[in-house]
Amino acid sequence: MNVSLRRFGDTCFTVTAVGSVLLLTAALVIILGPMIVRGATAIVFQGTIEFRQMQLTRHGRGDPAAVARQVASTNEARRPLYQALDEFKRGIDTACLEDEARQVYTELGKQLRNRNLPAEQLLTIRRHARHLRDTLVDAFEATDKAEARRRLLEVLAESDDPGLAGTVGERLFAMARDYQAGLDTLDLGQRQEYATALKEVQEALRKLLGPRPGEPTPPLAMNRYGATRMDLVERWEDDLLYGEKWVQKEPGKPLVKVRINRETEQFQGTRLASLFRYWRENRDAIMEPAFTVYWQYLIDDSVPGHFFGGVGPEILGTLVITVLAIAFAFPLGLVSAAYLVEVAGDNVAVRFIRMCINTLAGVPSIAFGLFGLAFFVGTVMDGVRCVLAASLTLGVLALPVVIRASEEAIRSVPSPYKEAALALGASRLRCFVTVQLPAALPGILTGVILSMSRAAGETAPILFTGAVAVGPALWEHPVWDWAGQQTRALSYGAFDLASNDRIAAMVPHQQFGMVMTLVVLVLLLNGLAIILRWRISRKLRGR
Amino acid sequence: MARTTPADTQGRNAAASFDRPLRLTARQDLVGYAGSLAGRALLFLVAASSVLAVLLIFTFIIKEAIPFFLEGGTLSATLGRLAEVFGSTQWYPEQDPPEFGMLSLLAGSFYVTFGAVVVAVPLGLLTAVCLSDIFPFSVRQVAKPVVELLAAIPSVAYGFFAVMIVAPWMQKHLGLASGTNALNASIILAVMAVPTIVSVSEDALTATGRSLREGSYALGATRSETLVRVVIPAAHNGIIAAVILGMMRAIGETMVVWMAAGNAAQIPSPWWDLAQSVRTMTATIAGEMGETVHGSPHYRALFTIGLILLVFMFVLNMVTEWLLGRMRHVGGRT
Repeated sequence: MNVSLRRFGDTCFTVTAVGSVLLLTAALVIILGPMIVRGATAIVFQGTIEFRQMQLTRHGRGDPAAVARQVASTNEARRPLYQALDEFKRGIDTACLEDEARQVYTELGKQLRNRNLPAEQLLTIRRHARHLRDTLVDAFEATDKAEARRRLLEVLAESDDPGLAGTVGERLFAMARDYQAGLDTLDLGQRQEYATALKEVQEALRKLLGPRPGEPTPPLAMNRYGATRMDLVERWEDDLLYGEKWVQKEPGKPLVKVRINRETEQFQGTRLASLFRYWRENRDAIMEPAFTVYWQYLIDDSVPGHFFGGVGPEILGTLVITVLAIAFAFPLGLVSAAYLVEVAGDNVAVRFIRMCINTLAGVPSIAFGLFGLAFFVGTVMDGVRCVLAASLTLGVLALPVVIRASEEAIRSVPSPYKEAALALGASRLRCFVTVQLPAALPGILTGVILSMSRAAGETAPILFTGAVAVGPALWEHPVWDWAGQQTRALSYGAFDLASNDRIAAMVPHQQFGMVMTLVVLVLLLNGLAIILRWRISRKLRGR
Repeated sequence: MARTTPADTQGRNAAASFDRPLRLTARQDLVGYAGSLAGRALLFLVAASSVLAVLLIFTFIIKEAIPFFLEGGTLSATLGRLAEVFGSTQWYPEQDPPEFGMLSLLAGSFYVTFGAVVVAVPLGLLTAVCLSDIFPFSVRQVAKPVVELLAAIPSVAYGFFAVMIVAPWMQKHLGLASGTNALNASIILAVMAVPTIVSVSEDALTATGRSLREGSYALGATRSETLVRVVIPAAHNGIIAAVILGMMRAIGETMVVWMAAGNAAQIPSPWWDLAQSVRTMTATIAGEMGETVHGSPHYRALFTIGLILLVFMFVLNMVTEWLLGRMRHVGGRT
């Protein structure tokens, strides 16, 4: 073959090979990047006044005076929103208006009774008021603008009635005037449509601002506060500013969903249109964003669905399960490795042991889960799923990893160490414990740390043995009781938030925060192992 | 190092003064021998804990799975169950009467594993070649941790990535009906299998030794020719073992396929359409075990899936052992 062609082939091969390494590096960055960056927003973000209020009421954090001041100023800034909403609602929600008119009439009756007027005069005023009420209700119910206007004028013509002066009855006239003002901007035929859209706007506002001042506290914790972070505000204000509508663009085709701008299309010309402009212009005054570092994310408990709060219970659960698992696997693994390296010859029994270790390393993690369910939960614990069963299962999973790492570490201790110790008259046990083991310890520790990181990340083995998605934190039980409790864990939590939890889907920073915490924990352990190994290799090279 | 206290030094001096007789009495000799024997036995027992673990795993999974086949009480019922399990694609375990055809689950596992291996083997092999032959030492020091970090990322994090990032991307840019499908799971599994393939085949490539390469270069071969025609064929045992180990990682993986493969118990039709949902054996166990009643046929069926998985893995593991043993043998001779 031509030499230049062969050289070209060689270059191509090299480029492809280097390219594959670059591809892997890119994969690592693409996978870790978004998880860590977006997960970090669970801790560092633009928090709103709602966040500070929540921290104050739920955890007593922050300066009460400052928060109270901010709450007052934001409430002031929010008032025009609610005002616009209420005014618009008067023109739309006729059932509510009718009720109000009837209530005014009832109150009027009570008020007049207390005045001790002559019976006849009382009767006249009441009859008159009843007439006004019925006309007003008719005006509210009218779908024809001209008729509604006529009725309103009818009511207003009597507004100088001396009998009603100074009583609650005057409110009837105020309501008539309000409605009259709103009537010009409204299309009465679309009242139903407006009412539906209004409900959406109200819901969006509630989501952004939390319950209105003076409203009773909602029973669900997630409804007690508005948007706690600016990224949520930006996400959710979409529902406020834009609506959706099903329209038929071409006859005979199925309906299509279109986005409509509430300000310039849906509520064009009505009094509500000003609300959206006001929101856009005064958003910061309404929400008071401030740079927030919420490090307590790592220790806080969360409300169900992780709507607020942190991953404290998950971190504790993962740490407890992992440390217990290693506490089981480490002594067994170390002694097994010592036996395999120092004592065992090459006979059938030892070969069988080695084969079993390799088999154990190849068992799929879900099979460990099944085994844990059938043996540790079903037989040892008598049907109780708990931390102990989960960590025993993980311990079996980590066993081969610990054995292999320790074996390698013990083997890599230079043989003169051992020879010198034996020559000085130390027994083999003493030689191993006082000479070989200390020399091998960093290597063994590296293996233990790596197996910890593996155990912390496993999900399938703890699925059926002790992990739950929702439940009390471990710290709510006394320490000696932890082993018998079920617990939340980072790995299972990350799965649950991504796949099962509908509420969590509304707050992506919580989903990413959970997986970020797990990944960072695992990476920290791995980093530690890499540093340890680097130091060992430096030492072995004699520097 | 522990600091020596004066008391310590004294003790050592006393020991060094040889006031004890050097020769052991017969009794001391016997006790010492028995002690060392007992110590060995104890160590052996501890070392045998892995054997115990493997035996327990097999025993308990078999124990929970076997009644699934013996329920009928007759030989024909058992054979019927076997035929149903391996001959039908209808997996409706909670229906009345339930159906336990596992063929679609086996096919699901096969699809995602096959997809993963097709991507991971070239990628992993080329990376291994890079690490063993192409990169200088300093670059290797950087490139190796990349591969190790890929291996260290927990599987649930891969699954999270598949569901939250890859799936929406696929739906938006590839125009698929659902982002969670066999293709998504395959790609992620490939990334997960690569580190295994890289580390085992790199060992195999390194184990072929320098002389082989030098011989080839001396005959005028370029580096790529040396690698493709000489080194890789010489290391084929280890490389096949690497591929099998990577495959095992993909088959045994649970969280990624559960989250990303879509979980529809079906065989894609047309058969080559990887963009359809599949459901694997592992995902079925993980997803359904929570809803079963202890001891019900469904529960036992899930343990049967576990048993099939376990046996499959065991066989593959034996093959790898044999291959790696041969590699070491060949490596030792050259």
